[in-house]
Amino acid sequence: MKVILKRFLSIIPVLLGVIVMIFIMLRIVPGDPAAILLGEHVSPDTVERLTKSMNLDQPMGVQLLSYIWNALRGDLGMSYTMKRPVTELILGAFPYTVKLSLMAAVFAWAVGLISGIIAAITQNRIPDRLFMGFSLAGVSVPVFMTSLFLQYMLAFKIRAFSLTSDGSLYSMILPAIALGWNSAGSIARMTRSSLIEVMQADYIDTARAKGLARRAVILGHALKNSMLPVITMMALQLSSMMSGAVITESIFAIPGIGRLATEAIQKRDMPLLQGTVLFTTVIVVVGNLIADLLYSVLDPRIRKEA
Amino acid sequence: MKKTDEKMPSGAETKLTGEERAPEKTAQELASEIGEKDGLKEELFRMCRQNHVAALSAAVILIIILLAVFAPVIAPYKEAEQDLMSRLQGPSMAHLFGTDELGRDVFSRILYGARVSLIVGIFPSIISLVIGIVMGLLAGFIGGWVDYVIMRLADIMLSFPSLLLTMVIMYTLGRFSNSIVCIFIALSLVGWASVSRVVRSQTLSLKETEYVEAARSIGVGSGKIMFRHILPNCIPSLIVLYTLSVPSSILSESTLSFLGIGVQPPAASWGLMVNQSKQFLFTQPWLALAPSLAIMVIVLAFNFLGDGLRDVLDPYMKTQ
Amino acid sequence: MRKRHVCALLTAAVLAGALCAGTLSASAAEEEKVLHIAWTADAQTLDVHKTTSNYAIPLAVFDRLFEVQLNDDGSSELVKSLLDDYSISDDGTVYSFTLKDGIQFSDGSALTSEDVEYTFTRMFALEDSVQTDFTSAIKGSDAVMAGEADTLEGFKVIDDLNFEITLDAPYASFLAVLATPTCCIFSKDNVEEAGDDFGVVPEKTIGSGPYMVTEWVANDSLTLQANPLYWGAPASASTVVFKIYPEPSTISMAFQNGEIDILDCDSIDSAVAETFKINPMYSDNIVYANRLATTYLALNENVQPLDDVNVRKAIQMAIDRQSILDAIYAGEGVTVDGIYPAGSIGFTEENQGWLTYDPDGAKALLEEAGYGDGFDMELSADASASASVANVLQIIAENLQAVGINATIENYDEAAWLTLRKSGEMPSFTATWTLDYNDPSNIIDTFFSSPDTGTLRSLNYADEEVMARVRAASAIVDEGERLAEYAALEKKIVEEDAAWVPLYTRQHLFIVNADTVEHFTPHWAGYSDFNVYGVTMK
Repeated sequence: MKVILKRFLSIIPVLLGVIVMIFIMLRIVPGDPAAILLGEHVSPDTVERLTKSMNLDQPMGVQLLSYIWNALRGDLGMSYTMKRPVTELILGAFPYTVKLSLMAAVFAWAVGLISGIIAAITQNRIPDRLFMGFSLAGVSVPVFMTSLFLQYMLAFKIRAFSLTSDGSLYSMILPAIALGWNSAGSIARMTRSSLIEVMQADYIDTARAKGLARRAVILGHALKNSMLPVITMMALQLSSMMSGAVITESIFAIPGIGRLATEAIQKRDMPLLQGTVLFTTVIVVVGNLIADLLYSVLDPRIRKEA
Repeated sequence: MKKTDEKMPSGAETKLTGEERAPEKTAQELASEIGEKDGLKEELFRMCRQNHVAALSAAVILIIILLAVFAPVIAPYKEAEQDLMSRLQGPSMAHLFGTDELGRDVFSRILYGARVSLIVGIFPSIISLVIGIVMGLLAGFIGGWVDYVIMRLADIMLSFPSLLLTMVIMYTLGRFSNSIVCIFIALSLVGWASVSRVVRSQTLSLKETEYVEAARSIGVGSGKIMFRHILPNCIPSLIVLYTLSVPSSILSESTLSFLGIGVQPPAASWGLMVNQSKQFLFTQPWLALAPSLAIMVIVLAFNFLGDGLRDVLDPYMKTQ
Repeated sequence: MRKRHVCALLTAAVLAGALCAGTLSASAAEEEKVLHIAWTADAQTLDVHKTTSNYAIPLAVFDRLFEVQLNDDGSSELVKSLLDDYSISDDGTVYSFTLKDGIQFSDGSALTSEDVEYTFTRMFALEDSVQTDFTSAIKGSDAVMAGEADTLEGFKVIDDLNFEITLDAPYASFLAVLATPTCCIFSKDNVEEAGDDFGVVPEKTIGSGPYMVTEWVANDSLTLQANPLYWGAPASASTVVFKIYPEPSTISMAFQNGEIDILDCDSIDSAVAETFKINPMYSDNIVYANRLATTYLALNENVQPLDDVNVRKAIQMAIDRQSILDAIYAGEGVTVDGIYPAGSIGFTEENQGWLTYDPDGAKALLEEAGYGDGFDMELSADASASASVANVLQIIAENLQAVGINATIENYDEAAWLTLRKSGEMPSFTATWTLDYNDPSNIIDTFFSSPDTGTLRSLNYADEEVMARVRAASAIVDEGERLAEYAALEKKIVEEDAAWVPLYTRQHLFIVNADTVEHFTPHWAGYSDFNVYGVTMK
């Protein structure tokens, strides 16, 4: 219990650090948000008026403190370009990203586990080599390539899926595959090595010696014991999913968090960028925390250490 | 059962999160094992003999490096040489991979693009390696609040989804007009945290070993201990870490360029070439295909090499 | 007998007519006509006082006092929209207007003079208003802008339907200005009640136009429904869905899959548009709009050696504009040699034809100016601009290199680019100005009317006397005299002083899905803001 509490408290300095860091990184350049808002049709008077009305002239420290205070209350400021509260935009976009990431995770897990198991039982034989080659290829392909390829082949040439997502589960299948592809490769490799390791353990030999069938041993004992690191790795994949979503959401036109971030960068919408990065980072931190806690709950040895 | 996170191969991000829980026992085992080894060189040769895929990957990487270095000699056309009369042509003898929308030779641009990929792959990884080593040594050796601050900083860095962090840094650097420099800086700043964790944990365990204690007792200075005795023992895992961070940097660059916030025209980068040619997917597919394959080949080669190196150099990570 | 016959015939005709009408309206009610449009980025706000981009929705949701009507021959004319009648005083400063009776906002409230007054006052009073330029001729606008007055001195409400606007000085294009998106008429009650939600929350954004906003999912889609209370002819498409496709490649695939009804070729690469043009499936369904826009290459006279008129002239001659049009835009456009877009009021044939591609002549001029060995020149690129614009710059760089000028492209992100340009220190860049209203003053005032405007566009045109003439021209009452002055100014600024390199006026192409769309009329100026009301569905 103590270790859990300790771990829980340990994220506080990290979260504060994250806020401060994002704030500093984005305020370090004296931006001219007025310029971007006005675009092509602009006159000297309006630029001056707008710059004044945006009120960025307070001292940095004051701005930082008020930002932290407001962020803690869930107020991330107004988006320059969308003219809406950033929190509202993020909460509107979040369900899409969650849906996409969850589906991608299911895909990655299913494909990764199965190919990992096959590879482990056929260790060092052709299926193993094949699956492992594929999984390494899986992690070597940029998300945008998988996305473009899937979209072109399955949605444009064959028309089995829609080109863009309307938020329905079916239309999310393609983006989810594209996003889960990399993770599937990682999980497959992880499952394989973890399984192989467990299968070499003494108790497996004992089980085999007791006359249990190979398949039963694998499914009954080895798999169960090798799942721990795989399960916790899923939470760690959250970070890469959040990064990948930036691409898939753009190609498949999904109005999620990643899209907000790209829009914010391209339009130099500082409050929006600050908000989206902060939000995704908090999600990742919390995800890792859950993974850690899960690990210590599931693994008796770690519990004992505590 | 051991925690096996670090067995994850490097996808675009996995490397960062994967190293998060490098267990401290590893280093100890590693240190004792390395001592008995016949040296790095022999190890590498053994890898080449045993792991043909890794050897082949090394050869592919070498070829790509040579092609990139000698691009001006090999390329049939200049990087930005336009021929508005022969735009969007298919592959032919004159243009091996066809021409793009300004009539530029795609093959030549891929050769030049290899330079960008290699530069952003190889060098920022070295810089983040150096930063990570220094941070890790300091944290592990000095301990106390220095350790706390450095490790929390690493925690913070690792909390950011790496693509988003890179994007934020690009945003901050946006006023520099040279986009390759921006990417260079951004990637250098992103990768150090995972390195520092590995180095720190190894430092912590080596600090307690007898020979470090012995060195200390005869009055060897801290700096000397760090760089003479502790660092060399970290090298094998650092090599693996480095090899696997190169492809992730290359992927980051191509992804940024694909999003239009990375390398800018007229420079050639593979990610940018995919970005510019994705519109012609259903009319001139070769335009997107060639740079896509190039990215895949180089990333795959580095990943295979890293895998092979890990099997040889990092006994703990070995599965067989 | 004969009479009865006629009667019977008449009855039959009426019956048939009624039947026809009946079936027609029945079928219209049965099938909802949905129009799908692709957007590359979301609109920011529908409150035109706060944005200068994405006018498509405000144009459909709000009305203006005047409207520009595009004729079949491509010409356009100003027609009354919300107005029943108007008159102008002899000295050209007092405008009297009468609104049409019975016009309602989509919430059922009446549109009155008070709403018009509120709209114009808000335009100047709002702290973050970006629409204060075109209408600044209205008397008292400065005082409202400076916060010294709450009411607009030049605006007088007479009764619910009549009002008067007084200008500081005669301003020839004032009526044309009233037709711009800037002058959308809002509902006073609605805007005051909605506060910050106005323009952002669909049900709190009420207009009198043919459509109303019913749904807006940020970064995803915006849906319009026909306004049942609209005073004019009802819109043909009962529902319009603007869906955002961030990737141009997705847009062209979506169009081929039938997900989009009208494809704006500006949102895809022109080379892809070309493949549609030669594809028999689409080649008959292309709508060409004459875009009233001038694309130019700006040359900053404060940057050496661009301060030398011969160097600027050499650059004008060094650029192969026709090749750029052919290569990047499939030849869809014409080169222009001045300031005013081809086909616009103010454009004259006399000022055309003097500028030809002549790299040898350019080299000779450079030699003469003492730059025979060339010089370094930066072309500043906005990295967020379309691939086509980036390609144009690359060809320009190659053209300049061919005459010995070492031109390199520097990329900036959009904000940095705009900031640098606004500072007056950007050496050279290319951009396009599309007319807001069809009058030469719109474009020449923007670039060449004062040192301030020169700085803002990084042109820094230096001739004070010419700039004074530009400022004075809009007050010339005699139309022929005024246009002659504008033509003379164009000749002086571009041909003699080589203040910029005029490039071209491009056509704007749209491809319609012939299965769903009967007819499409783009905007008169050919801008990309989609003209929803101009669509007739099948």
